[in-house]
Amino acid sequence: MTYLDTLLFVALPYVAIVVFLVGTIGRYTTAGFSITSLSAQFLEGRSGFWGTVPFHIGILILFLGHLFIFLFPDLALLWNSNPVRLIIHEGIAFTFGLVVLVAIVGLLIRRWTHPRLRMVTSPMDIAIELMLLFQVVLGCWVALGYRWGSSWFAADLSPYLWSILSLSPETDAIAAMPWVIKLHVVGAFIIVLIFPFTRLVHFLVAPLHYLWRPYQVVMWYWDRKKIRRADTAWQSTRPHNN
Amino acid sequence: MAAPKDPANPAGHTILVLILLFVAASPLAQPGADDYKICAACHTIGGGRLIGPDLAGIGERRSHEWLVSFIASSQTLIQAGDADAVAVFEEYNGMIMPDAMLSRAEIESVLAYIAGSGDAGAAQATAATPQAPPEPAEASEASEASEASEASEASEASEAMVELGSDLFEGTVRFEEGGPTCNACHDVKNDAVMGGGILARELTTVFSRMGHAGVKVMIGQAPFPVMQAAYEDQPLTETEINALVAFLQRADAEHAYQQPRDYGIGLLSSGVVGSAIVFGLCGMAWRGRKKESVNQSIYDRQTKSQ
Repeated sequence: MTYLDTLLFVALPYVAIVVFLVGTIGRYTTAGFSITSLSAQFLEGRSGFWGTVPFHIGILILFLGHLFIFLFPDLALLWNSNPVRLIIHEGIAFTFGLVVLVAIVGLLIRRWTHPRLRMVTSPMDIAIELMLLFQVVLGCWVALGYRWGSSWFAADLSPYLWSILSLSPETDAIAAMPWVIKLHVVGAFIIVLIFPFTRLVHFLVAPLHYLWRPYQVVMWYWDRKKIRRADTAWQSTRPHNN
Repeated sequence: MAAPKDPANPAGHTILVLILLFVAASPLAQPGADDYKICAACHTIGGGRLIGPDLAGIGERRSHEWLVSFIASSQTLIQAGDADAVAVFEEYNGMIMPDAMLSRAEIESVLAYIAGSGDAGAAQATAATPQAPPEPAEASEASEASEASEASEASEASEAMVELGSDLFEGTVRFEEGGPTCNACHDVKNDAVMGGGILARELTTVFSRMGHAGVKVMIGQAPFPVMQAAYEDQPLTETEINALVAFLQRADAEHAYQQPRDYGIGLLSSGVVGSAIVFGLCGMAWRGRKKESVNQSIYDRQTKSQ
């Protein structure tokens, strides 16, 4: 194992975990109201919808899929032990990889070209978005070029990640992997590392209770007639409808 | 408590001497012995060629520096054009020797171990075979005979074993210890199995390249770190190994008649179609979504009324 492997697969994950924990707790305690994502105008239903909604669905499925195999590698291997199930599994995972890829490219273009969005975009927003794009491209590449990832992730990378968590890193397998897979793993550690400094923190405070709370009626409390500017649309004709 | 320390206690002495003798005689006690286990998957010391050359007397045939660099990364040396390295690579059918994940000191202790046990191995071999060593022609005949007997064993084991092997390879029958199926990383172009992975080497003709013994050793004690990690706590049983060898032998023999499918294209196209469906479903599920500002309908009514 080279020094670079030690740096990337032993030092980096520990640094990333420590920075993630200290940074997130620090941000929460010192600037709790910043634990959110600044508006991306996501209620805008034309261009934003096709990026935001498929992106969030896709990235959640991919994230939970990776998490599941990491936590329960034996169950993943059991499922994959039937070749038809394996191919269905890989097909669905790759589908959501492509969904996220298309959606994130759309979101990047929108963020770049939409003046209202550029006003509320910070450099870290661009950094994390490019990082996610990098990860998704590599993920699709790994899925296609080094299949079947869902099985060898369970057999090789899950034990590696557990060895990191149990403070006895076993890096022989990861060190012998192709560089595309190594880059994907390093990319994941970098995302964990920069997580506390990006809009991604909103993931920790996702308003899940919104899913089953009763709906709210929102109504304007002020007299709209009084504040309307008379010198804009209806200078000569008095409106009839309000 | 004091008994072993008592100089007058012969029993204590005997135990101590026995322990010392055992430690000295145990090959594991020698530095490099543990690391050599990986080498033993493909090499012998004085036992003849396996997948790679016999390592007895290797220290006399090659320079120390050359050996250290070849063990550290044989491919680096081959790609740099080292004539000896290329010759060995070609002699052994282009079998790639994986890089040793060892430090220079560890490689040196492995070399020292090989040098040490080479003499012992040769002595043992001589002791075990008091008759004169066979002439080269006889030796090759002998090895051919043993290969033939192995081959006939494999063909006798045949149908049931081949079928078990293909089921194990594909995963329809799981390994007893729960290890990952072979097709997670390997592909074999054979109609009996579907969807092999491409992380690791394609194994259709592995039998021709490595022979019965080689394939068996590779499955049981692979010298590749990724495969070692995958089967570390869940090794294959002897029957499973034999079944896989039988299947790989059959796959090799039949490979010219197969019609392999390209799962990469299938995966790509299913992803493209699948993502189009996901986008379509999103559009349908949220078809009643608000596409304009809240005031838009009021604004439209007003401009229409002018």
